[in-house]
Amino acid sequence: MHRKSGLLALALLSPAIVLFLALTIYPLARVLALSLFATDYGFEGATYVGTENYSELFGHRFFRTAAWNTLVFAVLATVSEVGIGLMLALMVNGRLPGSRFVIPALLAPYVLSTMVVTAIWRAWFHYDFGYLNNLLRAVELPPVEWLFNPDIAMLSLVMVDAWQTSPLTFLIILAGLQSIPEEIYEAASVDGAGPRHVFFGITLPLIIPYLFLAALLRSVDAFKIFDKVYALTGGGPGLATETLSMYVYRLGFKFFDVGAASAAAIIMVVISGLLALVYAYKLVGDK
Amino acid sequence: MVRKRHDKIRIGLTYLVTAVFLVPIVWMITTSVRPPIDYVSTSISLIPSQITLEHYRELIEADLMGKAMNSLIVAVGTTTLALIAAFPAAYALVRLRFPAGLDIVFLMFVLLVKLTPPISLAIPLYQVLRSMGLLDTLAGLIIVYQVYALPFAIWMLLGFVRDVPVEYEEAALVDGASLFRRLRSIVLPVMMPGLIATSVFLAILSWNEFAYALLFIQSPENFTLPTFIATLITEDETFWGKLSAVGLLASLPILLMVGFVQKGLTRGFGGGIK
Repeated sequence: MHRKSGLLALALLSPAIVLFLALTIYPLARVLALSLFATDYGFEGATYVGTENYSELFGHRFFRTAAWNTLVFAVLATVSEVGIGLMLALMVNGRLPGSRFVIPALLAPYVLSTMVVTAIWRAWFHYDFGYLNNLLRAVELPPVEWLFNPDIAMLSLVMVDAWQTSPLTFLIILAGLQSIPEEIYEAASVDGAGPRHVFFGITLPLIIPYLFLAALLRSVDAFKIFDKVYALTGGGPGLATETLSMYVYRLGFKFFDVGAASAAAIIMVVISGLLALVYAYKLVGDK
Repeated sequence: MVRKRHDKIRIGLTYLVTAVFLVPIVWMITTSVRPPIDYVSTSISLIPSQITLEHYRELIEADLMGKAMNSLIVAVGTTTLALIAAFPAAYALVRLRFPAGLDIVFLMFVLLVKLTPPISLAIPLYQVLRSMGLLDTLAGLIIVYQVYALPFAIWMLLGFVRDVPVEYEEAALVDGASLFRRLRSIVLPVMMPGLIATSVFLAILSWNEFAYALLFIQSPENFTLPTFIATLITEDETFWGKLSAVGLLASLPILLMVGFVQKGLTRGFGGGIK
């Protein structure tokens, strides 16, 4: 099959290349160029300002808050989702009557549209009639301002994200658990190893690559978070849940400060590029 | 003996946790048929006091079917376009030899696109769509969704093309079959399950997408289901019956495919790690 195939390869790749050129290369070049201008739309009537947009962003409290919140969200979401996924996977792994139904049921929240998920949880977070506060009142606990208390709103956001995406980490980690040969456990039990010893000595080391993959996938996604913030909190209360994606959206599409929004977008691309390097390193390392 | 009891506790716990996990979805189902007086209360019961279809009727009046049709058009269009561009690319990347590791460079670039935050491309994409006159059209949405769909489709199809035994094709080549013929009568049929799995993922991806639909569609008659839901969410705090009804209708088609998703995902991890 390996013949002189340069032209053929180009022909087969050309539809994808054309789409990538139009939808990513050109837009990236354009957003990079726009980030060097003070502009409310394009280049017409725009003033070249060099790297001023960048230096202003770094000095701006809103941007720094958005960056910090994004980091906090990504860390909290990734840790809780890998943790919940691990617990679910440990529970499901092994003899389980009806696993044909249990596993798809656990997967259900993951396939829902984020807007559907948000619709449910906004109702659940409602202070007066929301289901969560009704539950709290039913056990004589005080109701919580899930979305309007600045100290709690971020945790509420993490909770929704964890409900929606833990099924993914669960499935990855379950695949890891199921790849461990049964004989290893049998040998360990012949040697009289206790359950804690088995978990920390055998199971955990063997599923580390899967935990890492789950954490990587979730952190990359968490870094982009937009939909949930937009529809659950709108970045509020105050700036408590403002993230980088929300910030770019607000600057570019609400305040029409296209230059500064482009600079913020470029900063996001650079950060995700670094994450891509980690990812690529891992993919290549495993080959 | 102790071990057996442990196992029983574990199984019982699994059922319990699964049930708790599903409560929000059960709540959505029952709220969609509850009268408003019922859910605007402090009761924790999930059982409706009476069944009503008023929320569904209101949705039909609010042109739910039009929105669902838009979502369907965008899902089918996005999936088709992504497959047309991704399949030949995946085939070439697996089967042909590239000079100077250009295939790796291309794949790394695809990965970078996959990881790039969609919002960072939104401003220039808005301007591109506007200059092409495709802003606020479903066709424009189908095109920009390739930012998500194409990298995803290429990565997923790579594995499925690799699974097609190269000997089949070599045998056909000896018989003088052209590339087009080999693709049509050998590669495509053998990888049909993979193509279907990829299509299901792409369709769900575009069916659920929100950010670009919010930014690039302005006319309510062009809204997809997620943007329609978003307007209901922000319009009034307690349209819960209506929201649940539209949420359920938007989710039913994908919930029916959850088994597919499970298989596809599990396969992906195995391939990604080993």
